[in-house]
Amino acid sequence: MVGPSIRIKPAGESSKASTVDGGETSHRLIGFLLSQPQSTMNRLYQKPSSCLSIFRLLQPLERQVVMNLLWLETPIPGATMAAWVTREGKRPYQEALSTLQSLHILPQQSTRPGPPQPVKHNLNPTFKASLRQAITGGGTSGSFGILAENDDKHPAPDIEALDAFALERWETILYYMVSSGTGQFPAKPSQGVLYLLQRSGLMATVRGATLQITSAGFQFLLHPPHEQLWELLLQYLQMAEERQMDLVEVLSFLLMLSTTELGKSYSTENLSATQKAMLEDLRDYGLIRQRTATSRKFSPTRLATTLTSSSPPLPTSAGTGDGSHVQGFIVLETNYRLYAYTDNPLQIAVLNLFVTLKYRFPNLVVGQITRDSVKKALANGITADQIISYLITHAHPQMRKNKPLLPVTVQDQIRLWELERNRVKSQEGYLYTAFASHADYEWVLDYAKKLGVVLWENPSKRCFFGSVEGHMNIRGYIERRSAGNA
Amino acid sequence: MDKPSHLSVIVDLSPTQWAFCAQSTAPPGLPLQTFLSQLLAFLNAHIACKDENTLAVFGAFPGQSVMLYSSTGEAMTSTTEATDPNTYRPFKTLDSTVMSSIAERFNSYDVTEEEEPIGLVGCLTKALCYINRTISVVSASAQGTEGATRSIDPRILVLSVSPDQSSTYIPIMNSIFSAQKLKVTIDVCKVFGADNVFLQQAAHLTGGAYVQIERTDALLQYMMMSFLPPPAIRQLISVPTQDRVDFRAACFCHKRIVEIGFVCSVCLSIFCQPVPVCSTCRTKFPIKTLQRLNASRPLATTPSTPGTPRPLTQKNGAALPRPG
Repeated sequence: MVGPSIRIKPAGESSKASTVDGGETSHRLIGFLLSQPQSTMNRLYQKPSSCLSIFRLLQPLERQVVMNLLWLETPIPGATMAAWVTREGKRPYQEALSTLQSLHILPQQSTRPGPPQPVKHNLNPTFKASLRQAITGGGTSGSFGILAENDDKHPAPDIEALDAFALERWETILYYMVSSGTGQFPAKPSQGVLYLLQRSGLMATVRGATLQITSAGFQFLLHPPHEQLWELLLQYLQMAEERQMDLVEVLSFLLMLSTTELGKSYSTENLSATQKAMLEDLRDYGLIRQRTATSRKFSPTRLATTLTSSSPPLPTSAGTGDGSHVQGFIVLETNYRLYAYTDNPLQIAVLNLFVTLKYRFPNLVVGQITRDSVKKALANGITADQIISYLITHAHPQMRKNKPLLPVTVQDQIRLWELERNRVKSQEGYLYTAFASHADYEWVLDYAKKLGVVLWENPSKRCFFGSVEGHMNIRGYIERRSAGNA
Repeated sequence: MDKPSHLSVIVDLSPTQWAFCAQSTAPPGLPLQTFLSQLLAFLNAHIACKDENTLAVFGAFPGQSVMLYSSTGEAMTSTTEATDPNTYRPFKTLDSTVMSSIAERFNSYDVTEEEEPIGLVGCLTKALCYINRTISVVSASAQGTEGATRSIDPRILVLSVSPDQSSTYIPIMNSIFSAQKLKVTIDVCKVFGADNVFLQQAAHLTGGAYVQIERTDALLQYMMMSFLPPPAIRQLISVPTQDRVDFRAACFCHKRIVEIGFVCSVCLSIFCQPVPVCSTCRTKFPIKTLQRLNASRPLATTPSTPGTPRPLTQKNGAALPRPG
């Protein structure tokens, strides 16, 4: 028996590239809420604004089912509801029902012993009452935010100022992440933000003090702004328990923010202690703006008001809220040359991750997508699909004339460079060879196959390769057989 | 699949018809106030579904058609009412704008004159123009991903209490054809009154739902289940469709609803009696054909009653195949 050796994997078996998210995946916050217990959800559903925001995050079919049941007083038999569903809607309908049950909007079906009862659907009473109040207005919860009185000395900030503030805060965070390893020293975001970045695995301390970006951080940089924002907020929610903040209050404040209106200021009177503590963190992320740290008024920025919608959260150069995409600035040619009409240091730094930049002008950056630059990006953990989707999202409007948008040659080549990393895969194990006879070889091979540890076999040379875990068993088996024969 | 959708609601606000509706006991009627409060809840529910959903409300008053509310702010009144922390602000703006516009129109309405027929057709055409304008703006600015699917699903909902107006046949059919081109779905909710022939055809031809309300206290539930789902969801949860559609038409010369008529073979205009020259396309018909058709006409032309639709015969005598 020989020591560990290398096994060559065929080139066709590459690791599956990350699949692009289709439109059917539910929002990240829903995934987080699915893991919460019923008592937490019930407390959350007491506020109409939270119910409304969560309702907006559901899938369309789930929303329709909730609306169907909202105004009924008595439970309705499941069969009646199912009669409305068409044949191709059956599976989505079952999935919608199970998601609603996991969110405790529909009560779970209890498994009691005895004959199976016909299923009846009725909404969770707390959720039903709150959502009705949200739609018709009323109640006493004050959960949509109390507007502060107009103060002539300090008028409410206008929308451009709010947008500029949000953009500046957000880009500070991202720019700090991008340039962490390159020796530049940009402005640092506050301690709370740094702590959050470290806890979420986007940056890690290297050699003591300084923070460096990790591969998860690189992938984070290429996501659209909505996903980035929610990733940070989810991490914040997960850390809430350890900081002795009540999760329900944190979440209901965030959801209340998503129902506020841009350009108005709200008063902080009704907020609980937990929520007042959150104000500082939210200022750092650019979600709200306060004139001073102790001001009793705050104004939400566009980042906050678009939390539950898909309008662009940051102002674009083409006006706000019109199209659904940021104004593009990248032109990509078939000879792998890239022209980016931007002077935003953050965008240039993100491009630097996978493009070799050659020239820089006041309004233009020219570079080339080379093998080395893409391999550097791949080594940092970015996938080819992310690079391609980033290029598509930020493509210049002139590129829209091409069909397809990006040259096929460039797309294929980026994917091939990614596949080049997967040519060889190694596994540790032991090679069993030099069997006395073919029968011996068969016996040991069968035993090893029953254990499921065979990685490779060659009957003509009478040797096979087993994994590390099975080595002791196979060795023991062979010793027993040779002891038995002797 | 999660596209924003646009809804244009056309509300029939004829005072006499609503008075009948409120007083009727069998079928049980519905006072206007109750109807409006349920309608506002439905409109709020539409906006609640998605932040980007847009809404436009039109009122069909006697003799005029008015835009009462639109999400893009054309019909805003300049009231600044006190904001209520218990209400989501867009809902409150929507509700107050609609109610104040309706109240203003009703107050300026003179009770003594004879009531003109309502401006339903005007509302329909205004709604289509509004949809056309908003869709072209959205598709011009959304330089989107590859693939050219339109990003908004528009639909129109008509809430009607009045009977048919036969003089509106031609404009309504034209609106239906433009709705088909724009891929707009027209839904109809008949709150009170007899079946409406032209609106049935509108719902059928554009793939919408036509619902006759039997229990008026459950109006909101009817609206939620039948009219709230956007077209993408209608493939998964079905909405009520008609099994029998009244395909009768109105004649072009007298605007009467006819069951048997005469069709010009060039431009397909419908007449209730043979004419020597078609009024739309000026085609002259031969005298011998006229004499033959006059001889074969049924002697007593009864006024049309709701019944099974019967085939129209063409000018050259051949009968068209039965519809449906």
